[in-house]
Amino acid sequence: MTRMEKFEMLEGAKSMGAGAATIASAGAAVGIGNVFSSLIHSVARNPSLAKQLFGYAILGFALTEAIALFALMMVFLILFVF
Amino acid sequence: MAYEMIMKPMTFKITWKDGLVITPWERPIGPTHGPSDPSLPSGSPVKDALDLAQDVPHSPLDQFAIKSFLDMRVGYLYISFTNPTFFMLLTLGLVFLLFHLVTKKGGGKSVPNAWQSLVELIYDFVPNLVNEQIGGHVKQKFFPCISVTFTFSLFCNLQGMIPYSFIVTSHFLITLGLSFSIFIGITLVGFQRNGLHFLSFSLPAGVPLPLAPFLVLLELIPHSFRALSSGIRLFANMMAGHSSVKILSGSAWTMLCMNDLFYFIGDLGPLCLVLALTGLELGVAISQAHVSTISICIYLNDATNLHQTFFIVIFL
Repeated sequence: MTRMEKFEMLEGAKSMGAGAATIASAGAAVGIGNVFSSLIHSVARNPSLAKQLFGYAILGFALTEAIALFALMMVFLILFVF
Repeated sequence: MAYEMIMKPMTFKITWKDGLVITPWERPIGPTHGPSDPSLPSGSPVKDALDLAQDVPHSPLDQFAIKSFLDMRVGYLYISFTNPTFFMLLTLGLVFLLFHLVTKKGGGKSVPNAWQSLVELIYDFVPNLVNEQIGGHVKQKFFPCISVTFTFSLFCNLQGMIPYSFIVTSHFLITLGLSFSIFIGITLVGFQRNGLHFLSFSLPAGVPLPLAPFLVLLELIPHSFRALSSGIRLFANMMAGHSSVKILSGSAWTMLCMNDLFYFIGDLGPLCLVLALTGLELGVAISQAHVSTISICIYLNDATNLHQTFFIVIFL
């Protein structure tokens, strides 16, 4: 195998690894939907607390998004570092 | 054909007409200098490119490279003046400049202008957090430390959004150093305030005694993970966000230049995506500073109050 062929195989393997690692953002998507669904339910119960509840929802969104970004970080690690 | 038009700009590959495929950021194995392969046809752009290529190709992670401006070394320690050092000093300078310009000549006016409102917003943000999260009477002692941490991470994150700037908090070492030091500080405060009762916080009430040592040991693991989690969260958000923006903007640039008839008025789709993503990045920068500060307050609450809750009854 020539050097360019080995290169291309490694490149293909990296792409496959990156694609597989992106599946983890599915869990994060479910989590974020959960957070905002709870926000809608609780605002429907008690609309006077809407502002405070929205603050809590943004906090929950940021924490859940962090997990999705852990997965994205692994993707970049696989693609560009190895 | 349409599939190629969409998918092709998303990759960084250059396919020349003689079939050679180069990705611009492949680290070259072997010599990059010297005469190129004589078997390549002489008018080929590959040959010209290889002849002219004298520097290492670029990667989307190159924006996080640490370059040192001044190399200084004391024995085994490197205390050189580097990229992050310069940008941290720049951040501090910006914060001090902003606060000084607002509060000089006697400390602002009663009817605040826009800058004073902004500074008041940043300053008032932390006491609300501290009051809310930490119960008991010891709360305001921790206000300066938490305020400085919040302001530092907020301004470092926001300053990284300037194009061609360097994001200090996108390095794991920096955010880990911050979160680890704060974790050690919180543990020390817990021991100082509560003595050895600090270990009782890992044991919920009403647990049978034979189960206790097992539970305490098991509780140590999530407790120690707190040292890492704040640092990793901030680092991962900043690094992943900026890498995404860089990759998408490379694709946006390629698509903008793709049209042969009207140069630079190509497809605007990825450019709008980059715009939206930059807006999201700004929101994430502020929100991650907020989240890391809230998590520090929660850990402090756990350390000083040991799961106790104080019920404050207000008679109106």
